[in-house]
Amino acid sequence: MIKAYILILTYVGNLKAVLEEMRKLINVESIAVVAGDYDIIVKAKVEKLEDLVELTDKIHSIKGVKRTNTQVIEKEIEL
Amino acid sequence: MRIRKKYLFYTLAIVSSIAYSLEASIDSVVLYKIIENPWVYCLSFFIVGISFTFFATLFLSIPFKNKSIGSLIDPSFKKIRILKRREIKYQIVAGLGNAVATMGYFIIVSIFIDSSVVLSFSQFVILYLLLIESLAEKNAPTLAEIQSSVMVTFGALLGSISLSGEINVDALLIVLFVINPGWVLFATYNRKLKLLKIDEKLNDSINIRFWNLTFTTIFVFAGIFILKGNIIYESIYAIKSNFSWLLAGAIITFFSVVLFVRAMGMGKASITQAVRASSIIFSLPMVFLISHFYPDFIFAGDTIMMLIKIIGIILVVLGVISFALTEVKAYIFIKAKTGHPIMELFNDIWKIKGITNVAVVAGTYDIIAKARIRTLGKGYERIIRDMEKIRGIENFEWQSILKEWEEI
Repeated sequence: MIKAYILILTYVGNLKAVLEEMRKLINVESIAVVAGDYDIIVKAKVEKLEDLVELTDKIHSIKGVKRTNTQVIEKEIEL
Repeated sequence: MRIRKKYLFYTLAIVSSIAYSLEASIDSVVLYKIIENPWVYCLSFFIVGISFTFFATLFLSIPFKNKSIGSLIDPSFKKIRILKRREIKYQIVAGLGNAVATMGYFIIVSIFIDSSVVLSFSQFVILYLLLIESLAEKNAPTLAEIQSSVMVTFGALLGSISLSGEINVDALLIVLFVINPGWVLFATYNRKLKLLKIDEKLNDSINIRFWNLTFTTIFVFAGIFILKGNIIYESIYAIKSNFSWLLAGAIITFFSVVLFVRAMGMGKASITQAVRASSIIFSLPMVFLISHFYPDFIFAGDTIMMLIKIIGIILVVLGVISFALTEVKAYIFIKAKTGHPIMELFNDIWKIKGITNVAVVAGTYDIIAKARIRTLGKGYERIIRDMEKIRGIENFEWQSILKEWEEI
């Protein structure tokens, strides 16, 4: 199992539409709208790296997405 | 289905509280109509409860679609297992707390047959939990926490007046000095157990419940033997005569506690307790339902008393809602100083109170952490100040979460 954070920047005025499309995607563990350098942080959970490529491709194809930055998780601990 | 985790937390806690109020109503009926001796009822309840819980845990261990049936209730559950050594001390304390609280509870139910009174009394426990969390986290509670707790407490106080206007001082003392401290131990140590990692995974609420009930039953047997002597034959006779009532109670209690413990793994003990305070809302219709079947069950219902009770319930609900609406979450993107051991940094960040997730990542950043605190002010006091003390951090960026959806 591979997990990754995908940090997303959107064009102004497109956030709601992008979120609606994002919520339809599979292999997504959580979606957070944030205030900071990015607009959306997606946590992805995929079986293999190819699935991650497919997911980021799908995110790129959503109208309103300006840029993504993928951070693959190497080790994680959570409550 | 993707719902916000917060909703899952409240769903678990509220379903648990509905089950809890149903169970309290059954206890009232049984003690009023069927087994009048609270000690005999208590012992027979535990004998049936532990037997049912054992078989239920075995049943929930049956594999189902590469998981187990129990994973439908708690995704962390695989199968019934032997306790790990580090769990034993927590289970002993939680079991002792549960035994004390339960024995006190049965005495109270036998005094007040109205379960809405009994449940309201128990809601004071939130103040104890808040105090303990503040001491444990070396951090003062926020204004929102104090406001909500006061509302829940006064609401519960008003709700605890019986519909006939009766207030029993002995019962109040038992609640304050026996039941609630016992429940605090039970709730606090159950949460510790839920947060323990077993084989690198979160502990599950079903095994926690099974083992907790095992220890509780041992303490209850010992406690009743010391206080009342040997009443085991009366208890066995009571089981034979009233098995269906006791089994219904055992089933409802099992699900109520399992869902409560699971909710405890998701939120602070005081917040889970606050949500569970909603049990007093559900207890009122149940009291009316029972009195429909048993017309002599209670009370000279009075409009003013009813109004006071409803005001109490509204206060409890408002208190719970204000707890729910005051939570802040954030992602923190961290860059490490070149040459600093990343695992040392990972562990240092994990130790900060309020950090709920730490991930070492490959990309622009080195570590991404997630924080959950009550207010942004707490984020500064508790997290930013602590992070600035860590030597290996080059810089970090704080990204407040405005809204979040999580898969369940």
